[in-house]
Amino acid sequence: MSIALQLRELLRSGIHRIGELEIQTDVYGYPYVICHHEDAERSTDSAFGGLEVHEGPADARDLSTYAPDGSYRFAKGQTNLKQGWVMALENEEDLRLALDQFYPAGVGLFLASRAGALETETLREKLDRQTGMYRFARTISDAGAQRLVREVCGPAHQCAKKILWRIAPETPLEDSEASRYNGIPGGLAESQAIPLLCREACNHFVAECRKAAKAENDARSEAT
Amino acid sequence: MPIAPKPSSALLIVGHGSTENPDSSTPYFEHADEIRSRGIFAEVHCCFWKEEPSMREAGYLVDSEEIYVVPDFISEGYFTQDVIPRELRLTGPTTVVGGKTYHYCLPVGVHRSMTGLILKRAREVAPGVDPAQTTLIITGHGTGLNQNSTKAIRDQVELIAASGAGYAAVLDAFMEEQPFIAGWDKMALTPNVIVVPFFISDGLHSYQDIPVLLGIENEVGAAASQREIFRHNPHHVRNKTLYYTSAIGTERLLADVILDQVSDFDRIHKLS
Ligand code: SF4
Repeated sequence: MSIALQLRELLRSGIHRIGELEIQTDVYGYPYVICHHEDAERSTDSAFGGLEVHEGPADARDLSTYAPDGSYRFAKGQTNLKQGWVMALENEEDLRLALDQFYPAGVGLFLASRAGALETETLREKLDRQTGMYRFARTISDAGAQRLVREVCGPAHQCAKKILWRIAPETPLEDSEASRYNGIPGGLAESQAIPLLCREACNHFVAECRKAAKAENDARSEAT
Repeated sequence: MPIAPKPSSALLIVGHGSTENPDSSTPYFEHADEIRSRGIFAEVHCCFWKEEPSMREAGYLVDSEEIYVVPDFISEGYFTQDVIPRELRLTGPTTVVGGKTYHYCLPVGVHRSMTGLILKRAREVAPGVDPAQTTLIITGHGTGLNQNSTKAIRDQVELIAASGAGYAAVLDAFMEEQPFIAGWDKMALTPNVIVVPFFISDGLHSYQDIPVLLGIENEVGAAASQREIFRHNPHHVRNKTLYYTSAIGTERLLADVILDQVSDFDRIHKLS
């Protein structure tokens, strides 16, 4: 079954949220309508409650690229999605297309994980594959990496993803709010949302590893 | 030659992407939209090195069993020869990974149809300007790191010079190697000069660095004002009339070059 059809099944089973997006079905003749979950109530008022209406998935990239303060949302799990709009979609293919702009591969990753087919990648594997100036990131200590998870990931740092990776095969993440997070912002029950999954450390995390590795290196040189 | 529909295949466009500049990946998404709108493939997706979805996540996006991978890169080099095959686990032109068949096409920038795109860009930016009074300069980064991008630009220069387009001269110039773009006015003997940046996206190079080297801007400006650079043509600087285009990859018709690479792949590897 295609990802779009599986998505339809998920919605029929009671799921209505992914990340910060609320997915509504059958609104004013549209099979699917998505909006920021904080706008969900308003969007059901007449004329979509005066929210800016986007028909079709074409504007999904623009809506997901900038935060309300105009900054670039380079990590898609960031919990700073703009409000004030609705997107009306004709079918599940368009819905899937739109969701893949807001949360790239989000639905596919969840379906694979549910089917036991999602491969994850340790932080060490990810860092070992970096090129150019990011190569240095691989020298970060395990302790440094564990600290970064607490300081970079999780909703306290605006990331809504559930971390599936380890530092290395034998080194799981230490327990913290970030490592425990379930990928569902807004405190919804797991039966009602597609969790956002982090199968490999993101580029933002890699960049932070590089900075921390440099600081560790500087500290070592000072000590000798 | 129009490409035959491939209703059971996916197209995967691979780009570099950036964690700092959102404009960097805009062309990839535009090329994907354009191709999607033509209904040739069952699905069209993008994936990136520095943005989401990553190349390793791309497999989870795709329903189709057969996937054409086109690097939306300007030349062959470290990314197309090492990084992309490694990330997608490709071992040759065609590789089966996780039950799906991946066909790995050549990057857009090396296709011969790029020549037509450059000429189109040049004509559009300088309408009515006599080519015989004009030097066309194709510019790129140029470093020891990627000799192939330098070669891709030199190849285009030769092709355009031989194309009969009628420019007084067609030259290559680089930010960081000889001949330097900063000396454009000395290289060009004509009153008019057209500069086309041979990059996929309008990243910092074409918005910020090159305009300073050309003398259009005094200093590296703020990102928000960069689009203006392309609107204020022609620029009257250093006693010449200078036309500066946006990066060649921002051309919507680059979608055609992506499709050309798919057709070429089929012709060469599938004998269809
Ligand atoms: S590595 Fe951390 S910050 Fe980056 S996407 Fe994953 S959970 Fe979020």
